[in-house]
Amino acid sequence: MTDTMNRSGRRTLVVGVGNPILSDDGAGIHIARALKDMGLQGVDVEELPASGLELLDMVLDYDRVIIVDAIVTAKGAPGELRVMEEDDFENTVHGASPHGINIATALALGRQLAAERMPSDIRFFAIEAADVVNVSEKLTPAVAAAMPSIIEKILAELQ
Amino acid sequence: MSGPIINDETTKTTEKKITIDPITRLEGHGKIEIFLNEQGNVARAYWQVPELRGFERFCIGRHVQELPVLTNRLCGVCPAAHHIASTKALDAVFDAEPTETAKKLRELFYMGQYTHSHIAHFYALAAPDFVLGPSAPSNKRNVLGVVDAVGVEIGGEVIKHRSYGQKVQEIVGGRATHPCFGLPGGVSKQISEEERAQMEEMAKSCVEFGKFTVKLFHDVVLGNQDYLNLILNQDAYYLETYNMGMVDKDNKSNFYDGDIRVVNQVGEEVAKFKPSEYLDVIAEHVEPWSYMKFPHLKKVGWKGFVTGPSSGIYRVGPLGRINVCEGYTTPLAQAEYEVLAKTVKDLGVTGPVHHTLAFHWARVIELQYATERMLELASDKSITSDDIRGPFKEPTEGVGICEAPRGTLIHHYTSDKDGLCTSINMIVATTNNNAAINASVNQAAQALIKDGQVSQGLLNKVEMAFRCYDPCNSCGTHALNGSPALEITVRRADGSTLKTLRNF
Repeated sequence: MTDTMNRSGRRTLVVGVGNPILSDDGAGIHIARALKDMGLQGVDVEELPASGLELLDMVLDYDRVIIVDAIVTAKGAPGELRVMEEDDFENTVHGASPHGINIATALALGRQLAAERMPSDIRFFAIEAADVVNVSEKLTPAVAAAMPSIIEKILAELQ
Repeated sequence: MSGPIINDETTKTTEKKITIDPITRLEGHGKIEIFLNEQGNVARAYWQVPELRGFERFCIGRHVQELPVLTNRLCGVCPAAHHIASTKALDAVFDAEPTETAKKLRELFYMGQYTHSHIAHFYALAAPDFVLGPSAPSNKRNVLGVVDAVGVEIGGEVIKHRSYGQKVQEIVGGRATHPCFGLPGGVSKQISEEERAQMEEMAKSCVEFGKFTVKLFHDVVLGNQDYLNLILNQDAYYLETYNMGMVDKDNKSNFYDGDIRVVNQVGEEVAKFKPSEYLDVIAEHVEPWSYMKFPHLKKVGWKGFVTGPSSGIYRVGPLGRINVCEGYTTPLAQAEYEVLAKTVKDLGVTGPVHHTLAFHWARVIELQYATERMLELASDKSITSDDIRGPFKEPTEGVGICEAPRGTLIHHYTSDKDGLCTSINMIVATTNNNAAINASVNQAAQALIKDGQVSQGLLNKVEMAFRCYDPCNSCGTHALNGSPALEITVRRADGSTLKTLRNF
């Protein structure tokens, strides 16, 4: 792996993933923007409007990464938060999504190609989305209402 | 490594409907539905895509200069293509001729996108089928399995050069993923000599990686008779359609600028048009079962999902482009183009290549071209000039077209005198290919599924018929869990669900 993926010297990253104009798909981006506005010390905050390999570029050389993204499950309630780890995605490593590589596959690829540069601690804060098909810059009400408590939980995680 | 697994054991199904949903390794959430007849043969197969609602409404009333950064949000995969088509549409809306420096910077940026995109497709999407085999277990048939097979060193080179493509886009375009440098008549950002030199070094390395990829394609795909047999299987992977793509004044392939050329089934030019004339050439058909429209040649007309000269279906993307052009302006790509031409000629093919899986070879040649063109532009010291913006006039109406990695991409805007968008029409690459993809899926399903005998490997071979188009469905980034890998819904003849099978 190369010099092109080097990031700052800080070791904790929060990355919000999603499309900011696709309703709740942008929940992670909304969180990232709110955290940036707080000016957290010792924590990098990034937005990622793509996923897969771009995420891999971003997380290299950090010790600890929190990935905030939308999720759509069969029974989840909109705004519900799940905290997950890489192992939880074992069944999707070989799966669909952006340009052939989803987030879990990209991280597995990183562990395969550059294990020494991969974060030791990666957690996913997955927010149940209600709408990921209507073009809008706004979150649906239930997801918007859940934002403050999710931000609190991320801040607690960062302590 | 052991050899690729080409075939697997089939089992007989008594069901009438097979759904592959969502399709593996595909951007977006498409699905394939296969309807069987009483004999267990395929009556009809469809490729369906989900709807992304409200983008047009979202854009109307906004300033047209916002559109290059809004339209590129449609897609997490080819935002650069939307940004370029949108910026070119603004050139037309504002009647603004970009400066030479601006044109070079836009094209350099765009070659970075092609390098990144074609590497990702070839190694992450195509290679699992060609390195591990179309019938390899689905939990191995992915990029991780490819790296296991070819080695970590090559895997590292893939990631490195894809990142170089991204880096070039970041330097020129302001951001790697969602660029923001395009303005009517130019670009917003001058580059430094240091940045130019950095891009030149990365481009040199990418040219070498392009050579490596061409050789790998020869060794792994063309050197394997089983794969050649798949590629040449005219029952499953062969469509005699029209072809469409952008060419320069000498009919050489061009991704950034030029006229759009259409050739018929024997390679004769039947249309060559400027962006502003696209509505004279392209019409769109609607089917009740699909949100996505079916563009076709207006003068030939819509005759359903059939091919041949009386059907207006055309193909775009790497295969469409290689069929409409008369070669490349760069030496290595031109040399490989001649190898392809000679190879197919030796096989008795005259005129365009209609073999669907030849998309992959065309894509590899285009990767070589993109890297060479990137090096040409990055080596040009004049690109550091501050002459990056030309004059512009009152906004009216305009069309911008470029070749997205997946095919011809059209943006058409109208503006009021204050620059507010009053209408927007886009025909994206995958939509241009929509009819051909459906015809390909139907053809492959009919050829491969007989007497109700199905297997994961066979279903994957059906998927291969459309995966080579590199289709991009919903132009949006997706929720964290993406989608499960493969779900087959078996339905009774009346359409009700009898059983669902999953491989996860």
